[in-house]
Amino acid sequence: MTEHEDRQIREVLKQSFPPVNTELRRDLWPAVLRKLDTHPARVPWYDWALLGLSASVFLFFPQLILVFAYHL
Amino acid sequence: MELLQRFALGEIDAFEELARQFQGDIYAWIVRIVRDPGIAEDLTVETLWRICRAHQQFRPDGNFAAWARRIATNLALDHLRRRRPEQSLLAEPAGAPQPDHLLQRETREKIQQAFRRLPAKLQVAAMLALVEEQPYDEIAAALGTSAGAVKLRVFRAVRILRKQLNHLRVRPSGKDMRIGK
Repeated sequence: MTEHEDRQIREVLKQSFPPVNTELRRDLWPAVLRKLDTHPARVPWYDWALLGLSASVFLFFPQLILVFAYHL
Repeated sequence: MELLQRFALGEIDAFEELARQFQGDIYAWIVRIVRDPGIAEDLTVETLWRICRAHQQFRPDGNFAAWARRIATNLALDHLRRRRPEQSLLAEPAGAPQPDHLLQRETREKIQQAFRRLPAKLQVAAMLALVEEQPYDEIAAALGTSAGAVKLRVFRAVRILRKQLNHLRVRPSGKDMRIGK
């Protein structure tokens, strides 16, 4: 591919995508704060799965609680 | 204590200061990629939210601006992957279109559609390098790759674009684009 062809494509793209205004029109902090309030930190699914698995093991094999406590 | 250290420890005041300081830069970077101010604002909010959520992963001796730009670029990439190529990016001018203007608009739309069919990673590299003329090393840092890899992506984008434009019978000839008969 020649440099001339590269320049052509660059020109064509520049004409097809006019310059955008890169100035931010408003302060986005209030929106960020709202999002932080409405989307609090969630416990990931694998933590819940691990908790469920541990609870099941202790339910069916309660003697393991003593072994577990010994190793703490 | 330094601002970045306070942020890494999860202080919301420190995060607010950083968010207000960097929101303009993050927005400017995203809007260059997605070309839509509304979407760019949404993605900037999403970027800042993710930054806040990931504060523990940030090292206070690191470069906050580069880290933020990397997160912003990933979100912009996700957006491009989700967007359909048919969506036009040009705002329609007011008034009845003239025949020559119609031709130009049609050509532009075809070129935009061809561009939007490129893989998202190629779109980002080509948009930032060819249209926005951003330095290759900055693009590379934002994409988490090397300048050489960015050049390769731009090369591939140009090659694919040329093929697609030929297929669409659009003849790129510098300042005077025409659709072939």
